[in-house]
Amino acid sequence: MSTDLDPDAALMLRVKQGDWGAFAELVDKYKQPVMNLVYRMLRDSTEAEDLAQVVFLQVYKSADRYHVSAKFSTWVFTIARNLCLNEIRRRSRHPADSLEGSQSEHDDQPERQYEDRKAFAAPDALLHGELEQKVEEALAELPENQRTAIVLCRGEELSYEDIAEILGCSVSATKSLIHRGRETLKQRLKPYLRTGSWSKSK
Amino acid sequence: MSKDPLYERLRETSWRRKLTPDEQARLSELLATDSELQSDWENEAGLNRALAELAPVPVSNNFTAQVLAEAKREAAIFERTRRPAMNQVAWWFRWLPKVAVAAVVFAAGVISYQHVQENRREEVAHSLSAISQIPSVPNPEVLEDFDAIVALGSNPPADEELLRVMQ
Repeated sequence: MSTDLDPDAALMLRVKQGDWGAFAELVDKYKQPVMNLVYRMLRDSTEAEDLAQVVFLQVYKSADRYHVSAKFSTWVFTIARNLCLNEIRRRSRHPADSLEGSQSEHDDQPERQYEDRKAFAAPDALLHGELEQKVEEALAELPENQRTAIVLCRGEELSYEDIAEILGCSVSATKSLIHRGRETLKQRLKPYLRTGSWSKSK
Repeated sequence: MSKDPLYERLRETSWRRKLTPDEQARLSELLATDSELQSDWENEAGLNRALAELAPVPVSNNFTAQVLAEAKREAAIFERTRRPAMNQVAWWFRWLPKVAVAAVVFAAGVISYQHVQENRREEVAHSLSAISQIPSVPNPEVLEDFDAIVALGSNPPADEELLRVMQ
């Protein structure tokens, strides 16, 4: 067995052999980054979690097609982005429909449980939350490819080559998308950006 | 604004991760000599911080359990629907070798029969060829004096010495 094998690839090999524990490990590791991406593409937290679950179901169903040479994170984010684009297209064709329609099929499943993060928020945190909202709003107004490129770029996991593969374009095109997106964000958020401090300025 | 290539590289690196101390030192050297770059970097760094401090989107505590439950449910459904099809496939796999052997035997039989037939045809052809070389039977009228001619053939040969003397 090769010692250079990516840990995630090793887990996927076990998933291919029917190891549910390995699959659970991968879900635990990637649920947050996938959720971050899906939410920022769809802008709806409930639908984002539904779709994030579909991403991992797709990962499981496609396990046979996974090649060890491929980076797992690139593969899972590609699946996530493609499913999000399909959902966005579906919404544009049927704006009245939503994923909640299919939710009734799984009423027997336990309700989602979240930590109550706001219960102990200090005033600074609330202010921070308000500024964070500004950033989220500015991100939401970017074109999808720029927004996706910037969101993927946030994590240290992915190289520019990985991001380019997910977006289906060249590395230079990827950097150009990120650059243009960031220029727009800087313009919109200029009053709030300060070196060394994260405070609102009017 | 045309920017220093080193600044561009460090800027792009900062989009993905924090700069190392060495990278930070090189950046500081660049910024110390260019106020325009410094202003640009302040905005870049501010945006980097803003994006890095975005809170993770809440994920339900039982997310993994829900995914596993659904995946197992779909796997069980797939297994149930796959079995009849697999039985059919198994049937083919059981009978296919036998059919293949039978086909080979049949083909061998056909080829052998054709070979035998070919040989027989050749023999017949040879026979016909041999017969065709036999001179044709003469006209029966020629054979009318056959007995007389045969009788002539039984006479002793001519005395050639006497013939010479007589000549």
